Amino acid sequence: MEDGSVRLEKVVMRFGDFTAIDTTTLEIGSGEFFSFLGPSGCGKTTLLNMISGFLVPSEGRVLIGGEPMGGVSVNRRPTAMIFQNLALFPLMTVFENIEFGLEVRGVDRKARREASERLLALVALEGSGPKRISELSGGQKQRVAIARALAVEPRVLLLDEPLSALDLKLRQHMRAELKAIQRKTGITFIYITHDQGEALTMSDRVAVMSAGRIQQVADPVTLYRSPATGFVAAFVGENNRLETTLIERQGERVRLDGCALGELAGRVAATSGLHRGDRAALYIRPEHLRPVDEGESGPTLAATLEAVHFEGAWVVLEARLEASGELLRVQLGHEISRQYTDTLVAGRRMIFGYDPDDAVVLPEDGGPRVDEATGEVVEAGDV
Amino acid sequence: MFRQLAARFGGPLAMAILGLLGIWLIVMVTLPQLQMIDYSLRPNLLPAQRGGPEDGWTLTNYTTLFANDIHRAIFFKTLWSSVLVTLLTLGVSYPLAWYLAKVATPRQAALCILLLIIPFWINEILRTYSWFIILAFRGPLNEVLMMLGLIDRPIRFLSGDAGVMVGMVYAYILFMVFPVYNAIESLDDNQVRAARDLGAGTVRTHRRIVIPHAKPGIATGCIMTFMLAAGSYAVPALLGSPGSRWFTQIIYNWFFEGGNWNQGAAYAFLLLVLCIGFMSLVMKVFKVGLGDFAK
Amino acid sequence: MALGLRIYVVVFFAYLFLPLLVMAAATFNDSRFPTVTPWNGTTLKWFGELAADSRMWQALTNSAIVAIGVLCLAVPIGIATALFLNTVQSRAKPFLYALILSPLLTPGVIIGISTLIFWRQLGVGGGIFLTVLGQATFIAAYVMLMVTARLQRFDRTMERAALDLGASQWQMFRRILLPYLKPAILSAAVIAFLQSFENYNTSLFVVGYDTTLTVYIASKVRTGLTPAVNALGLILILVTVLLAVAYEVKRRREAVRVVSV
Repeated sequence: MEDGSVRLEKVVMRFGDFTAIDTTTLEIGSGEFFSFLGPSGCGKTTLLNMISGFLVPSEGRVLIGGEPMGGVSVNRRPTAMIFQNLALFPLMTVFENIEFGLEVRGVDRKARREASERLLALVALEGSGPKRISELSGGQKQRVAIARALAVEPRVLLLDEPLSALDLKLRQHMRAELKAIQRKTGITFIYITHDQGEALTMSDRVAVMSAGRIQQVADPVTLYRSPATGFVAAFVGENNRLETTLIERQGERVRLDGCALGELAGRVAATSGLHRGDRAALYIRPEHLRPVDEGESGPTLAATLEAVHFEGAWVVLEARLEASGELLRVQLGHEISRQYTDTLVAGRRMIFGYDPDDAVVLPEDGGPRVDEATGEVVEAGDV
Repeated sequence: MFRQLAARFGGPLAMAILGLLGIWLIVMVTLPQLQMIDYSLRPNLLPAQRGGPEDGWTLTNYTTLFANDIHRAIFFKTLWSSVLVTLLTLGVSYPLAWYLAKVATPRQAALCILLLIIPFWINEILRTYSWFIILAFRGPLNEVLMMLGLIDRPIRFLSGDAGVMVGMVYAYILFMVFPVYNAIESLDDNQVRAARDLGAGTVRTHRRIVIPHAKPGIATGCIMTFMLAAGSYAVPALLGSPGSRWFTQIIYNWFFEGGNWNQGAAYAFLLLVLCIGFMSLVMKVFKVGLGDFAK
Repeated sequence: MALGLRIYVVVFFAYLFLPLLVMAAATFNDSRFPTVTPWNGTTLKWFGELAADSRMWQALTNSAIVAIGVLCLAVPIGIATALFLNTVQSRAKPFLYALILSPLLTPGVIIGISTLIFWRQLGVGGGIFLTVLGQATFIAAYVMLMVTARLQRFDRTMERAALDLGASQWQMFRRILLPYLKPAILSAAVIAFLQSFENYNTSLFVVGYDTTLTVYIASKVRTGLTPAVNALGLILILVTVLLAVAYEVKRRREAVRVVSV
């Protein structure tokens, strides 16, 4: 297998006065399924375009398989891209689309046809070769796009939100399929998405991006369990954010002063520079909160129910914290919510507890918030 | 500009594109026009006299127009007649454009457009010639009118400006119908319905809703029609008489009968100025830009 | 109101077609002068007379040569200009755009005159060569408009995809962009050919002694007018109508195919 590693060395991308990508260094291993996750405009497509060669970085360099790509044009890079709109050639047949990359490389007709037949089999489209693109369904077009990109035997496959045009069912199916193809071919996949579900289910590692910067690079579990910044905590999954002050730190465990909320507790990263007296943000996921009885040991939060949303497998509660008036989101699994049948009504007073190991404490950065009205993540600098 | 082209198409192709564009804009469009202006500013000299003491820039060729009563009259006649042709064409075309865009079913509209295009593909000379037959002194129009008892004696349609006008409206109608049709078609049907709903009559709906929306199309149609009418040679030559000459005919005569190209160039430039002037006026009145023409 | 409009439309099309029918009918009238009144009996002799007219054949040949020449010049220029306008961003663009459109807004006689004057300075007189140049000057702008209309709907990620798959820029142009533009280019070529074939105003000044068909017809109308001119007109009308219908049918079929995509 050829070396399909990608290395970004201090790359910067500026368009006029606007800095799309701030100094970024990153190593993506050969054969890795790597995702860039972030809201639109965060710079993830710019990064992809620098790897594919459509953009030349203003500073720094890109290496693929250890070779610097400076001066190597798009059509000579060992990468292939799957575009958001797929960009299949509508005037050509499926065969012609898949064989295009080989044809322009001067591969003879027979070898081309063999390659395209093999790829059609890989994407489960045997026999569709002579069809026109317009005769294919959305999912089939997707597969043709994958086959076309694989035909040129890239060392790195770049995927620019390729599933965004598909409906939910098909999208979930294609996730599994993409992952399977990646395993089978062993090619490095670099995937771009604003859909965290896609990033978490398929990737070996994910880089969360915001405003031209990489916020955190980690495997999906770490990303979810231990977000490194407030942005990641708010963007990946859901989180309740409470403002506190640190009282005491013992290794990873901290005791916090939640002002009106009383004493709270949580976990910090071992490397965290938080000290006694520092302002800190406590993040508790809705699914980590559970109803407890009054007087129970450990940190508790008293709130009044405002709304109850039944969502099938779970129930989402919106509760107003008595002490601070902030809104708390709680997600109860089937098991627990069943105990409260009929009593989960607006106006009811409840006390919620959590395991401090599940609650992440990060330095207070005035950081991102989830806009209550729209449910979107609002960045600190955005307001 | 080369950089942007080369980035997209590669060096050789970018060079070819700029080369073709350059040949066209410089050798075929700009230089000939400049040469014509230069010509118009020089006296008509024998080859031996060129570069001699008499060779130099002068406005004589332009003052000729104002010194010559007949030429001046023809110049202004051409101007007014072309304006009249433009207005007539607009009047005739507008209802049809409206019908095509908003009243006809898609099938009807498609058929009508095909029918409209067919005469347009037949050359101007033949279209004009067919009117020559109809309007002839002993032609079918006079016969029909006499048969109906509307006239006692045949009329000489071909001796005045009327024949020329009829022929021009006929020849240039498509250049008006299509831009106006395109403009009206882009109007949202609901706007018309809303106006009707609010009690606006047909005239008011058109004056307040449709015509303002169709302005770019009307402007384009008027500019094209005026330019074609003022610059027409075939129609006045075929349907006019010596008494109803057009300015283009005077220009032609300077070139091929008077043998004074310099004088002809000056007149040609005046005709061009006339067209540019009309175009600027229309663009100003209708508040449209050059970008609206490509539609 | 609606009825009034419908009647108007019928009258309009009668106005559009009656003259052509009258001209066609006059071809078959056994009269020395082209007319339909009075009808002196039906004859086909004017077709024979037309066929025997060697100057007409020469003019027809000249027109065909000119039209092909115009095609070869105006179509590449029009395509290049459309690509230029679609690609280049520059502050000079509005000015260039005005210059590019100017031949459409200049009377044909003036294009003929300026071409004639310019090339005489270089020692080239009126003839087929100048006719081609003069006509191509404004026909190129029509080609540009037609190609631009299609180019504006082109999805440029196709280009990126082709490059990404390893195509050179030339291969991208040849295999992706040009096939996409083909329908517009073919239409433009047909229009360019017809525009050239029927051009009179520009040709009038630059043909020299190489009379084209329209110039020949015009001279016939003014001098030796016989119904043979009608015969020629009728044939031209039939050919153009056939071409127009074929072109429309083909265009519609393509439209249907595009819509079904």
